[in-house]
Amino acid sequence: MGSSSSERKSAAILEPTMYTASMMAVVVLILLAACADLCDGVTVVDVYRLVQYDLSGVPFGSRFASLNHHAASSLFSPGTAAASGGDSAAAADLSRTVLILPLRGLNLTLIREYIGQRKILGGLLFLLPSIFNPENVDNTGGTDDVPAEGVSKDILVELERLLIHANVPFPVYFAFEHDDINAVLADVERTDVAGQPATATTGGYKFVVAAREPRKIGSPTLTNIQGWLPGLKADGDSNQLPTIAIVASYDTFGAAPALSVGSDSNGSGVVALLEIARLFSILYSNPGTRGRYNLLFGLTSGGPYNYNGTYKWLHSFDQRLRESIDYAICLNSIGSSGDKLWVHVSKPPENEYIKKIFEGISSVAEELGLNVGLKHKKINISNPRVAWEHEQFSRLRVTAATLSELSLAPELLESTGGLSDNRHVVNEASVVRSVKLVAESLARHIYNHEGKNINVFADDSNLAVNPSYIRSWLDLLSRTPRVAPFLSKSDPLIVALKKELTDHTVEVNVQHEVLDGLFTFYDSTSGKLHIYQVASVTFDLLLLLVLGSYLIILFSFLVITTRGLDDLISIFRRPPSRKVKTA
Amino acid sequence: MTVFHFFNCAILTFGPHAVYYAATPLSEYDTLGTSIKAAIVYLVTALVKLVCLATFLKVSESDSFDPYQELLKALIGFVDVAGLYFALTQLTHRNISQNHKFQAVGLGWAFADSVLHRLAPLWVGARGLEFTWDYILQGLEANANLILSLSLAALGSLMWLRKNKPKTLIPIIYTCAGIVATMPSILSYLRQGLGWQLPKVIGFELFTSLAMASISWQLFAICQRPSS
Repeated sequence: MGSSSSERKSAAILEPTMYTASMMAVVVLILLAACADLCDGVTVVDVYRLVQYDLSGVPFGSRFASLNHHAASSLFSPGTAAASGGDSAAAADLSRTVLILPLRGLNLTLIREYIGQRKILGGLLFLLPSIFNPENVDNTGGTDDVPAEGVSKDILVELERLLIHANVPFPVYFAFEHDDINAVLADVERTDVAGQPATATTGGYKFVVAAREPRKIGSPTLTNIQGWLPGLKADGDSNQLPTIAIVASYDTFGAAPALSVGSDSNGSGVVALLEIARLFSILYSNPGTRGRYNLLFGLTSGGPYNYNGTYKWLHSFDQRLRESIDYAICLNSIGSSGDKLWVHVSKPPENEYIKKIFEGISSVAEELGLNVGLKHKKINISNPRVAWEHEQFSRLRVTAATLSELSLAPELLESTGGLSDNRHVVNEASVVRSVKLVAESLARHIYNHEGKNINVFADDSNLAVNPSYIRSWLDLLSRTPRVAPFLSKSDPLIVALKKELTDHTVEVNVQHEVLDGLFTFYDSTSGKLHIYQVASVTFDLLLLLVLGSYLIILFSFLVITTRGLDDLISIFRRPPSRKVKTA
Repeated sequence: MTVFHFFNCAILTFGPHAVYYAATPLSEYDTLGTSIKAAIVYLVTALVKLVCLATFLKVSESDSFDPYQELLKALIGFVDVAGLYFALTQLTHRNISQNHKFQAVGLGWAFADSVLHRLAPLWVGARGLEFTWDYILQGLEANANLILSLSLAALGSLMWLRKNKPKTLIPIIYTCAGIVATMPSILSYLRQGLGWQLPKVIGFELFTSLAMASISWQLFAICQRPSS
C-alpha cells in the first residue's frame, strides 16, 4: 500500500515534465515525418500590381492591393440572355469574385465597358504569355509564336493604355502563364461552364494576396547622372570650349511598375549613350586625337513625367556652361527601328544650324544604309506637356534634336516602356547602327571631316562598335525595372550607371532631385498570390451531419451490445440525470 | 469555415473515445482513473520508444522499405506491448472486473495515442484555407486505432490476467496478439514497400481492426464461459 501511494505521488510529480517533454519530442518527430504531406497543396504565384498614382490629385490606376476572394473566369455567368441583362445580374455576383482573364482571346470592349461604368469587382488577374516575362530571356524571338505574339502585343498595348488612364476601384494584378496557374484556370473555367460560379457555399478556388494598404511614396527622387569629357584647349586660349551634349533618359513607366523594363524605351538609348561614351573616351584619352569640343553625357530620369529630370538638370547648369552647349542630341527608342529613323527638332528646319546638323546625320546615314527623316514640332511654352527631351533644351534656347524611331510625338505616359517592351522587341543590330550613326556624325562635326570620306569608327578597328558590350547592357537593362519613384538614391542600377560613366569619362556628377508634385505614386508593386482549393460550407455541414449520425449510431450500438436494448430505450424515456451509481 | 473543418475532424478523431466511455458501463463504474493512468503509461512508453528509435535507427535517405530497419522498428514496437502489460498488471486499479479493466486501459491507451499523434497536425493543418482529405482520413485512422487498442488490451488481459484458459486457445491468443502488435509495421510496409495510397491503407486498417476485434471478442467470450 505504502509503495503504491509513493509510486503514485512520484508519478504525479514526474507527470508534467514527462508529459511536456515527451509531447514535444513526439510532436517534433511527427511534424517532421508529416512535413512532406503538409507542405504541398497551396499554389503560390508571383503577381505584379497595376500602378497606382495621382496626377494633380486625380486618382488613377488600381486603388487597392489586398485580395481575398473566390475565383471566376468570365464576366458573365452562363445562361444570361442579353448582355445588358447579364450586366446587372453579373455585377451583383462579381463584387466578391476575382476574375482570371488570360491575354489570349481577351475581350477588350467588355473590359472597357466594365471599367468605364465603374463596376465593382473583387479583383482582376490578367494572365500574360510567358514571353512577356522579363526573366524569360532564353529565346530571342520565338519563331513559331511570332504572329500570335504580334496580336498579343497589340492587345497588351491597348489594355495597358486603358488601365493606366482609368481609376479602378479594385485590385488588378498581372501574372505569367505557368503550369500551376493554367491548371487552376482550366478548373475554374470548367466549373463556370457547368454553371456554378464559385462562392462561399459551392467551394472552388480562393485567391489571397496578403498586402497592406498601399502608401504614398513621399519625395520620390529623380537621379541624373552626368559625365564630362573635356576637350583639348589650345595653349593661350582662355575662351570656353564649345560643348556637345548627348542625353538619354533611363527610367520607365508602365502598367506594372515591377515589370517595366523598357528595353526599347529607353534601354536602347541608354545603351547607345554608354557605347558612344566608351568610343569617345578612347579617342579623348590621347591628346593627339582629343577634339576641340567638350562632351557632356547625361543619363536623366523623369522621362515619362514631361522630362522633369532633364528640366531640373538643365536648370542646375552654370549659365556659362549652358551657353557653351553647341547642340544636344537626345536618344529615345532606337532599338527596333528597321531602316527608318527620325530626327525631331523644335527650331524650324530652315534654320541654318539645324540644316547643318541634319545634313551631317543624313550623309552618314546614307553610307550606313539608313533612312533618316526630319520632323519639326513647335513647342508651346504655355503647354506643360513636353513630348521630347530636346524640347527641354529648346525651352532654354539651346539647339537640340531627338533621334528616335518613333515618328509621332508620344502622348503622356505612352511609349515609356510598358508591359510589351521587353528584350524580344529590341535587336542589337539596330542599336549598333544607331550608335555608328550618332558617333560618326559627331566625329565628323568635332574633327571637321564634313564632306570627307573618313570612317572613324570603322569595323575591325579598335574603335569599332562593340556588339557584345551592347548586348550585355541590353540584357541587364531588360531585367531591371526602372520606374523612377521606386528607385532609391543608392539603387544598384544607378550605382552601376555611375560606375560605367566614371570608367569612360573624366568627371561624373550625380544629382538628386525630387519629382514635381504633379505626380504622386503609391507603393506595393508586387506580391505573392496564394491559391487555395476550398470546400464549401455545405460540404462542412454535410460532414457534420454524417459524423453526428455516425457517433449516434456508435453510441446506440455500444449501449445495445454492452448493456442491452432496454437500457438504450430507458435513456430516451427518462431524463439522463442518473449518472452516479455506486459500484 | 476552416475552424468548422477542424471541429469536424476533431469530433471524428476524439469523439468515438468519449462515446465509448459514455455508452458502455465504464461510465457507470467510474473507470476514468484507470484510463488516465493508462494514458500516462502510454506517454512514458512513447518516450522510451523515441529514445530507442533515436539510438538504434539509422536515418535513411531514400523512402524505400528497408527490411532490417523495419525489423528493428517492429522490435521497438514491442515496447508498446510491454507498456500495455505494465498498465494492465502492475498498476493498481479499483476493484473493477477484468471485463471493464481491459476496456478502460485500451480506451486510455488509444486516447493518448490519438492526442499525441493527431492533435498537433490537426491543429496546425486543418484550420488553413486549403482543403484536403488528409484530416478526415486521419480521423478514420484514429477510429481504427481505438479498435485495435481495445483488441490488444483484451488479448493482453487474456494472456496475463486470466489464469485458466482452454489449452487449445492459447496459441490462437498469442498469434492474434502478435498480429495486432505488429500492425504498425505491416501498415508502414504497405505504405512504403508496396506503395499503397493513404485511403487504401486506412481502409485496410479499418477492415483488419474490425476483424481482429471480432476475433478477440469471440476469444474473450469463450474464455469467460468456464469461469462464469
